[in-house]
Amino acid sequence: MTITEKNINNFAIISLQGILNASSAPKLKSHFEQSPEGVSVVIDLEKVEFIDSSGLGVLVGIARKKKASSAVLKLANLNDRVKKVFEITQAYTLFDIYDDVTAAAIE
Amino acid sequence: MKTIIITKKSDYTWLRDIFPGLHPLLIPLCNKPFIEYLIDFSILVGSSGLRIISDGVISDVENFCEHGSQWGVEISYANILPSESLSKVLEKNSRFCSGERIMIISGLLFIHYNKRSDYRSFFASLPPGEIFGCSNGNLSLTGVPSELGKQETPPLLSPVVLDCIGQYYELSNEILHHRLADYVLPGYSNEAECFIGRNVVLQKSVTVIKPIIIGNNVQIFTGSVIGPGAIIGSNVIVDRESTVSESIVMDNTFIGEQLEVDKKIAAGNLLIDPESGYSLTMEDPHLLSGIKSKGISGSPFQRVTHGLTAAWMIMLLLLPYLLLKPFLKLSGCWKTEKIVYHSMKHGKKISLNRVSIEKQSILASIAVFLSLDRFTWLFWVLNGHLAIIGCSPVSVSQGIQIINNNTAGYRPGVFSYSEAEDWPQNTFDSDIVDHYYAVHSNLIKDIFLTQKALFNRIHHEDKI
Repeated sequence: MTITEKNINNFAIISLQGILNASSAPKLKSHFEQSPEGVSVVIDLEKVEFIDSSGLGVLVGIARKKKASSAVLKLANLNDRVKKVFEITQAYTLFDIYDDVTAAAIE
Repeated sequence: MKTIIITKKSDYTWLRDIFPGLHPLLIPLCNKPFIEYLIDFSILVGSSGLRIISDGVISDVENFCEHGSQWGVEISYANILPSESLSKVLEKNSRFCSGERIMIISGLLFIHYNKRSDYRSFFASLPPGEIFGCSNGNLSLTGVPSELGKQETPPLLSPVVLDCIGQYYELSNEILHHRLADYVLPGYSNEAECFIGRNVVLQKSVTVIKPIIIGNNVQIFTGSVIGPGAIIGSNVIVDRESTVSESIVMDNTFIGEQLEVDKKIAAGNLLIDPESGYSLTMEDPHLLSGIKSKGISGSPFQRVTHGLTAAWMIMLLLLPYLLLKPFLKLSGCWKTEKIVYHSMKHGKKISLNRVSIEKQSILASIAVFLSLDRFTWLFWVLNGHLAIIGCSPVSVSQGIQIINNNTAGYRPGVFSYSEAEDWPQNTFDSDIVDHYYAVHSNLIKDIFLTQKALFNRIHHEDKI
């Protein structure tokens, strides 16, 4: 999985590309462990080809940590495959989900 | 122009009590799902795209509408949180809305329209803001109006909020008796006020009194009288010499012989009086019953394998259970609590003993090691109420909040997927894992995860 990062309006925009499963989830987790906790983040999931329960687990963990440090985690651009998993697991109730990265990166 | 349809769970609590498992946007109005009326209307208004937004499960609606190719309009879906305001919803869907005029239909709002009227120019010229609004639903517009093609006389536009079963019945009746010509309705119609679906068998001496609507795969037996004002859904059997008038018979319903159904709604074995809202559950399947549709409990081979595994485990654990349980019970390490759970079989409930074993002795550790606390649950696998591995069962008192019985995600098991994946129990995270595997599981995964669950339980904390 490829992780790219840029900044818009004091939000860190993390774009993920590839598969977010048990083998790639630790990479995303360690990426966030290395970044400052108080920074709000938008994760762009447009190019995520597959996400499983481990991937969802990491996203839930990141959301919790951000909430604890008074920052926010927003998700944007969920493609149909990712949306399906969020729908099945009803994980959408845990996240702020936007259809556009720029709109998500507004305080 | 684009359309956003927002339905929140709070808009349709009344409906879920009466028709559990049926998404409100899919409730049939004269055998046409509610959402189809909204799609037709948004097309008449000139929408090129439609987004269906909900704070609940919308997979059933998505499966039905798909991407909208059936109507020639692009349909997409999004989820919101229950507390979110309209401005927040628009912000979250800003890419969809970008620069376009948006018509927003919020709540369970039905809009009477006429398929022959021109709504396009009328809606284009309306100023932004609320067109119609009440506590349970509204119709509003955003964006800049166009002066082109402004109409002097507004076309028919009459909204109705569906907020109780009586309203649903009245609306269905109004369409059937007065507005059949206004909508495109399913079925063929050689004469006015009579719509009949595919594969409908009317046996000899059946009397049909217009207006009526009959769905697909319907059998009406000898001597029955259908109508006036009968709306019969698909996969319905009306047995001999019965009468259905001024009533709605929902899909997959059997009406027994020599029955008179007048001014009622029949749905499976439920008979509802729309005027008072009272409902009656019929216990006698010869009077009124549901016709079984395909279940969600996995393939037959998967179910048989679960059953065989349960039988094998029962044989293996019977002796240790009989020997250890009395001893542990006497020593106070074995505590039971009877809890009623939702079964895998739709609408059924099961009463299970939730056992907690305190690992205070070697015998207690052996009991935990052998998962004897779940021993009695194994019998429920044999009659199909539980799977060997699945979601954690949801208790009736807890309601079905997270796990919805209209999704394919609820398959309660003796052991849960979250136990297999070693997630903390009874948290939202464990529900996510349970749902994920309940939908994505197969036989191989089930076998592997059952072993994993058993292994994890051995290494778990002191008390199970």
